Amino acid sequence: MSEGAELVNSEERFRSLFEHNLDVILFQDREGVIWDVNEAFLTLLNRPKEEVVGRPVSAFLPLALVPVFHEKLQQAFAGTRVQFDVAVQFEGAEPRVLNISKVPLWVAGAVEGVHMVGRDITDLTASHQLIEQQAQKLNTIFESITDALFLIDWNWHFVHLNHEVERLLHVERAQLLGKNIWDVFPEEVNGAFYQQYYQAMNTGKAVHFEAYYAAQQLWLEVKAFPSEEGLSVYFSDITRRIEAQASQEKLTQDLYRHNQDLQQFTYLVSHNLRAPLTNALGLARLLQAEDAAQQETLTYLETSLEQLDVVLQDMNTILSVRDKQDVAAPESLLLTDVLGQVLHSLQELVQQAGASVVLDLPSDLRVHGNRAYLYSIFYNLLTNALKYRSPTRPLRIAIKATRQPEGEMCLSFEDNGSGFDRAKAGPEVFKLYKRFHEAGSGRGVGLYLIKTHLEAMGGRIEVQSQVGAGTQFILYLP
Amino acid sequence: MQTLLIDDDFISVFLTEKLLKREGMGEAVRSFQVPQEAVSYLRQTLPDHPPELILLDLNMPLMSGWDVLEALRPYETELLERCFVYILTSSLALSDTARAKEFAVVTGLIHKPLDSNQVRAIHAQVVERRANLP
Repeated sequence: MSEGAELVNSEERFRSLFEHNLDVILFQDREGVIWDVNEAFLTLLNRPKEEVVGRPVSAFLPLALVPVFHEKLQQAFAGTRVQFDVAVQFEGAEPRVLNISKVPLWVAGAVEGVHMVGRDITDLTASHQLIEQQAQKLNTIFESITDALFLIDWNWHFVHLNHEVERLLHVERAQLLGKNIWDVFPEEVNGAFYQQYYQAMNTGKAVHFEAYYAAQQLWLEVKAFPSEEGLSVYFSDITRRIEAQASQEKLTQDLYRHNQDLQQFTYLVSHNLRAPLTNALGLARLLQAEDAAQQETLTYLETSLEQLDVVLQDMNTILSVRDKQDVAAPESLLLTDVLGQVLHSLQELVQQAGASVVLDLPSDLRVHGNRAYLYSIFYNLLTNALKYRSPTRPLRIAIKATRQPEGEMCLSFEDNGSGFDRAKAGPEVFKLYKRFHEAGSGRGVGLYLIKTHLEAMGGRIEVQSQVGAGTQFILYLP
Repeated sequence: MQTLLIDDDFISVFLTEKLLKREGMGEAVRSFQVPQEAVSYLRQTLPDHPPELILLDLNMPLMSGWDVLEALRPYETELLERCFVYILTSSLALSDTARAKEFAVVTGLIHKPLDSNQVRAIHAQVVERRANLP
C-alpha cells in the first residue's frame, strides 16, 4: 500500500466513523459555529445539512441551555475534555437526554476546534427513574405497614428496616444497615430469636413465634420468611396482650382457689359443724330439769342451740346456691305448675290470714330454670307477703306474668301489705341479714335468697314499696 | 325390738340409745361405730334373723352410709319385707335426699337430732308390721 493510499484510506475510515456513527457528532469553532455535522444529528434535528452548517449550535438550543453549552465549549477550548448529561429539546426535535462529550482538536499546540459527541441515554435514564420510583414505592410500603420489618441477607447483614423497627427496638437505621445482626444484638446470640432465625434460614421454611426481648422488656410476635435474598422478618409488640393473658390466668386461678375454699367451707358447715351441734341439741332436750330455775336455764340453752342451728341451716342454703353442687340441672318449667305447688303447700297459712291470691298469667308460660330455685323464690315471696301483711285490711296478692317481645319473662308480684321505706332501705334491701320491718320473725334471709336464686338462673329482681300501701317485686328471667 | 344402730360418733350413739330406751325400745339395740363390722354382722344374720330397724349414719370414714347400703344390695328382698332402714344424718346436703331414693330399702331420711316424736312414729310402724306378718 502506498503512503498516499494509506492516508486516503485513513481519512475515509475516520470520515465513515464520523458520518455513520450512531451518536450525534458535530464539529464547531470557538464561537460555536457548526463546521461539520453527521447524519445522526441531522436526523435528530430533522433538517438538511445546508440548514445546519455555518450556524451556531445556540440557534437550535432552547434559550435556557445556551449558557451551559457555551461554558462547556469554552472549557473544551481551554484544553479540557468535557463531559455532561443534559435533557435537551433541539429546535424541531423530540426531547432527549444526551450524554455529551466535548473533545478538543489540537493542531500544532493549539485547539483549533471541538468535536461534540452526544450519546442518547433517554431510555437508560427512563429505566433508572423507573427503578428509583419503584424503590421509593417499596420503601413507602415498608414504612406504611404497621408491623416492624427488616430484611437481612444470607450473611446476616441488615439490608433494610422500617421506622417501626427503630421505634420498637430503640435503634437507628443508619447504625444498623450493612451490619451483622448478631454484632448489633450480641446478647441475643443463642437466644430464642437466634434459634428461630437460624431454623428459618436452614430449613427454608417460615417461622412464627412469640419471644421476650429483654433489652426493651417487650414481648414480640415474630414471623420470619426466608427467601433468595435472605430473611424478611416482621414483628409486632404484643406485651400488653401477654400481660393481659397473665393477669387473666392469675384471676382464673384465684377464682378457682376461692371456689375450692367455698366448697370446702360448705362441706365444713354442712357436716363438721352441724354434727356436734345436733348432738348438743339432742343432749339438751334429753336433760330433765330438777326445779323451775333449772328448767328456765335448760330452755334458754335449748333456744340458743336452736338459734345456732337456724343460722347454720341458712348458711348451708346460701352456700349451696353459690357452689351449685347440690342442684339438679336447669329444665323447662311451667310457671303455673311451680306456683301451684307453692300455693298448695302454703294453703293453710293463706286461709288463716284471710288472704286472696289472684293469678294473671298464661297457663302455658314456661321458664328455663331450676325447679328448686323457682320454688324457693315463690315460697319466700309468698311467706314474706303473709308475714308483713297490713293489720288494717285483708291481704291481696296479685301475680302477673308475661313474656316480653325480647323473649324475657317478666313477673310482677304485688301485695297491699304494710310495705317498707324503699328509699331508706336503698341498695341494702337484698343483702343478707338485713331487716326492714321492726316487728315480726324475719331473719333477713328471704330477699337475699330470692336474689341469689334468680341470679343463679341468669335473672334479676326489682322492688318498689311504700309504707302502708304495699310492695311490688318485679322478676325478670331469660 | 331388734334395732341396729350404725354411727361412728359415740356421742350421737349415746344420745340415740338413750332416746330409744326412754321410748321403751332400748332392750335389743346393737350399736356399731365401725360400719364394716355392722356389714359383716348383717351378712351373717340377715337371711334368717333380720333386724326390725336399722338407723344408719351417712358421714363415716372409710365406709360411708352409702357404701353400707351398696353392700346390702344383695339382701334387698329380705330387708324390704322385714326391716325399716332410716338414714340418720346431721348433714344438710340437699343431694342426700335425692340419693336416698336410689335405694329401695331406705324408708326415710331423718335429720339429726332425732327426737321422741320421730322415735314413737317409727315404733308404731314396727309394731304395725309385726302384727301383719304371718
